[in-house]
Amino acid sequence: MNRLRVLLLKEWRESMRNKMVLFGVIFLPVILVATSVYMITLGDGADDPVGQIILFNTSLMYFLLLPAIIPLAIAVYSIVGEKEQTTLEPLLATPISDLELFLGKALASVIPALVVNWISFGAFLGIIRLLVGSVPLQTLTAPWLASIFGLSPLLALFSVGITMIVSSRASDARAAYQFSSLAILPGIIPLVVYSSSKTLVDLRLIILEGGVLVVACVAVMYFAIRLFRREQILTRWK
Amino acid sequence: MITTQNLTRRFGALTAVDSLDLHVDKGEVFGFLGPNGAGKTTTVRMLAALIAPTSGEATIAGNELGIHNRSIRRRVGVLTETPGLYRRLSAQDNLLFFARLYQIAEPMAQVERYLKLFDLWERRAAPAGSYSKGMRQKLAIARALLHEPEILFLDEPTAGLDPEAAKTVRDLIETLRSDERTIFLCTHNLDEADRLCDRVALFKTRLITTGRPQELREQMYGRRTVVHLANYRAGIENQVDLPFVKHIDVVDERLVVSLDDPEAENPALVKRLVELGADVQFVTELRVSLEDMYLDLMEANDESS
Repeated sequence: MNRLRVLLLKEWRESMRNKMVLFGVIFLPVILVATSVYMITLGDGADDPVGQIILFNTSLMYFLLLPAIIPLAIAVYSIVGEKEQTTLEPLLATPISDLELFLGKALASVIPALVVNWISFGAFLGIIRLLVGSVPLQTLTAPWLASIFGLSPLLALFSVGITMIVSSRASDARAAYQFSSLAILPGIIPLVVYSSSKTLVDLRLIILEGGVLVVACVAVMYFAIRLFRREQILTRWK
Repeated sequence: MITTQNLTRRFGALTAVDSLDLHVDKGEVFGFLGPNGAGKTTTVRMLAALIAPTSGEATIAGNELGIHNRSIRRRVGVLTETPGLYRRLSAQDNLLFFARLYQIAEPMAQVERYLKLFDLWERRAAPAGSYSKGMRQKLAIARALLHEPEILFLDEPTAGLDPEAAKTVRDLIETLRSDERTIFLCTHNLDEADRLCDRVALFKTRLITTGRPQELREQMYGRRTVVHLANYRAGIENQVDLPFVKHIDVVDERLVVSLDDPEAENPALVKRLVELGADVQFVTELRVSLEDMYLDLMEANDESS
């Protein structure tokens, strides 16, 4: 078994035993999907275009929050947890490479976030179809699909990168969690702006946000990778 | 097995390890002694290819430090100052994770072997966080040994353990000695070093001295025989006119006699004392503890620097 896979499996095994992480991975999506379904069914058939815009923008915002919040929860406990348990040095004493360690920690957070987000989106559509009889066309438009399948991975990567940087400097999981929470802002700010201007999200916004996120991800990952060197971890991390 | 030349590590303006020259042979239990902040952990980290030296060279198990770091990490096992176990994972899962990281051919069999060897098999499914301190330390040592390293670095292996758990760990180290493994033992416990180590190094940023504990004692204090007398008669020490006797002190009415070769000279010494009318009760060797020697050397080092 290659080391990256070994590390991923260990991370997930540990996460499954952590109540805080489980809350983020299981309960949060359930709550957000339920809220989205409630909002869409509430607005179904209503003759209020502005209200509809706000409802759909808010629902989409939930599916852009999940890929940012879930990796945050996993990555904070994965990195600060290693510090708290003083397991980093034994781990670094193995032949695992710095890159494998970095990728292991990053992917252990990004993969569940995307899987959970996409499952949540599927569940959202399925439940609405069950309740209303059809899937609202607004949720299958190019901006929605580009957001769910294009922006989500970028938001998850950005969130993981920020969390890794913050966690390397934090010795307390709660403090790291609070600072890293800033990583969810790129997912919500544009949608809040659109909703307040009463405009349905369009592809132009998603492409613009995607472009900004690609640049931000490259920058954040560059710094995160630099922090994830043995030497740095053992001598500079707090 | 371990050779270093001028190995130096600086952190900014602070020199943690200064020009360390060491040679540790295969199968040796080598004690690395020094006060807190002496640079012992930094040395272990360098030798285990975890951090790079600022300057100097080292060869670990035939691999050059800085060039074959991954190979070094495959050949050494490290027990860090704290056990560093994943508390939510079971003992078995902790070991399996590391066995797979080391890409051991049959990880489960090897994990089972070490859990049984260290008497942890019955509690293998329990989370490591539920273990006692002694059990955690045993599990951490098992982890460091899983990949059968040629060199084992043990950083304060008995620190914070109760006497029973500490004895268990010391017994384990004794067992490992018979496996021809090289053991590099950092410790504050000088009694432990005296009992376990073939050679010791006294270290405080720089290497102060190195050698077999007994040789170091002889170099520093010579060899001394203590003669317990039933009734000490004042001045008897001045009547011992033997050419090999270098010096006699009287401590608590016992004669402390400095000799070069006690094994050969003690019988004649006892005979002469009996001739002088002394009633000899016991003859023992004065053994300066490693602790006393350590404190004297550290004091001398502090004065010279």
